[in-house]
Amino acid sequence: MRIWPRSLFGRLLAVAVLGTIVALAFAAFTIGHVLERFVTRSLDQQLDAQVAVLARAVGPDGRLDRSRAVNLPAFEETGSGWGWRVDGAAGHWSQGAAFEPELERWRHHRERRDDDDRPPQAGPRPGEGRDRSGERVHFRQMSVPTAVGPVLLTAAGPRRVSDQPLVEAMAPLLLSLGVLGFALGAATLLQLRFGLRPLRALRRDLTAVREGRARHIPSDQPAEIAPLAIELNALIDQNEEGLAHARRHVANLAHGLKTPLAALAVRLAEPGRDPDGALGEMVAQVDRRLRHHLGRARAAAPGANQRLRTDIAPAIADLIHALGRIHAERAVVATARIAPDLAVAVDPQDLDEMVGNLLDNAWRHARSTIDIAAAREGPIVRIVIGDDGAGLSEDFLDEALVPGRRLDERGEGHGFGLPIAQELAELNGGTLTLGRAPSGGLSATLALPAPGVDGSP
Amino acid sequence: MRILLVEDDPVLAEGLARALRAENFAVDVAGNGEDGGHLGSTELYDAAILDLGLPRRDGVSVLRDWRAEGRTLPVLILTARDAWSEKVAGFKAGADDYLTKPFRTEEVVMRLRALVRRAAGHAGARIECGPLSFDAQLGQFELDGLPLKLTAFEWRVLSALMLRKEVVIERSDLIERVYEGDADVDSNSIEVIIGRLRKKIGTDRIETVRGRGYRLTAGTA
Repeated sequence: MRIWPRSLFGRLLAVAVLGTIVALAFAAFTIGHVLERFVTRSLDQQLDAQVAVLARAVGPDGRLDRSRAVNLPAFEETGSGWGWRVDGAAGHWSQGAAFEPELERWRHHRERRDDDDRPPQAGPRPGEGRDRSGERVHFRQMSVPTAVGPVLLTAAGPRRVSDQPLVEAMAPLLLSLGVLGFALGAATLLQLRFGLRPLRALRRDLTAVREGRARHIPSDQPAEIAPLAIELNALIDQNEEGLAHARRHVANLAHGLKTPLAALAVRLAEPGRDPDGALGEMVAQVDRRLRHHLGRARAAAPGANQRLRTDIAPAIADLIHALGRIHAERAVVATARIAPDLAVAVDPQDLDEMVGNLLDNAWRHARSTIDIAAAREGPIVRIVIGDDGAGLSEDFLDEALVPGRRLDERGEGHGFGLPIAQELAELNGGTLTLGRAPSGGLSATLALPAPGVDGSP
Repeated sequence: MRILLVEDDPVLAEGLARALRAENFAVDVAGNGEDGGHLGSTELYDAAILDLGLPRRDGVSVLRDWRAEGRTLPVLILTARDAWSEKVAGFKAGADDYLTKPFRTEEVVMRLRALVRRAAGHAGARIECGPLSFDAQLGQFELDGLPLKLTAFEWRVLSALMLRKEVVIERSDLIERVYEGDADVDSNSIEVIIGRLRKKIGTDRIETVRGRGYRLTAGTA
């Protein structure tokens, strides 16, 4: 069973609201009590004065001397709710409103218990009752010992005399307390929103890290959250290191296998060892798989590159230089039209791998020219590589991006570069599309994320 | 054609050297970067095949040093590192070509021949000298349109002369381009090979330039 809300906001709010309600209720109760005693005291003073007059008017024989029973002004008015009575063995006397006692106040009992060592008649005791018309009255009562036994002196006044000022005082008091409660509630809400803001910011920062818009959580955090941010950053680093380690491991494994594989291929190429080339094809298959998985291992963490900024023009110039040498026997001219400050938010090695594979493909198929153009279109940069080769038919355009599908058996490992480039493009939040170049050859378009505002140096 | 092969895997080095020798190349093998770097700096080679992941010294640094010393020999990088960034780094260090493991032996042979030919200043595969023609890509000689049968040593001497036709090649240069580093070279052996070649292609084709060396010439015949 869950009593507390799951959210910190809910918990803090619940505690604050409960605390405020308890404090306000306590304040209302204590202030009300003090007020009540204050207003009741003036009523009591009048009643006690009347009781004192009556006490003096009662003779030792227990009879009331009416001539000495002077009425205070309030008791003169009939029907006003004020009245007194004297009850004893010698007789009953009364004046003003007739009333019946209903209850004695709890404090009265306690006082009596507390004052056990003193005579109970020490002073008038309070009590509550109602008069004939049902109006509530407050009375003070005192017992006076006489020769014929105790005589009970009671003076009563209408409760409204004390209630009225109490109500008048309590109404604005409760209103003020209510306003205070609302103000405290609002302050609590504000405080919670303000106080918990770093947590919301932390969540946003963490999302940014997960989505690759940031590498780490900012370290300028409030004192309570700073250790958490440090731990999270350490975890992020550890995770990255683990990933890099795994990638290095796969790469080492693949590289380690390639040299023996090369030795095997050389041995198989010796005369008579592999007459039908079947074993050589198996070596080629192993190589293709190695290259596929090496390519995937090499791919940087998906989307982790938005902070990166790789200039396109120098990368492509280097690749053109390299490919010009690799394909030195082919008279192909590659022309790049790329603004010098154009960049993509992609790891430089990934960009080399994507463009290198596409350019290599273009070089293998071009008759004489390759055109490379790149331009930014809002949040993406399009790199278009077109050759003037035979191109691909519509059917083959789709199949070209199926991994390992060899469309053309002429070149070594050919047909493999396109799917690798596509996979890398997608891992980097981009796309690779194939189409027909104006010169009739294949046109490959890489759409890659452009560096964001915060990715700019 | 004398080739320096720098490869640390003995099985691969031995197999590749054997395949290259079968194609008439003279091959020196170095098993680590230090030895390979030293050989490339001090000996005369027509081309080098260089692995990158080498013990003692990385191939890229070996290559960089050769270029810094002014060694212009064509270098074919042969490595397991197949990322384009690594290829670009290899070419920036001064490589002339780049092949990744595993490879087809014919591919290595073709690329080596092309490198040597282009380094000698021949854009096309076919080199002619009088009635003699050399397909530098296939490594075949023809005399008057008919295939010419040559021993490995004869082929090495004639291809060296053919790539530098009409130019005098010093005798010591010729010896370096024909014999492997650990070969026991007889002082007269080059003269013996030249003599045999003259019998096959005609005496006037190869001139002896006294005190300097030999020259292949279209001549007047």
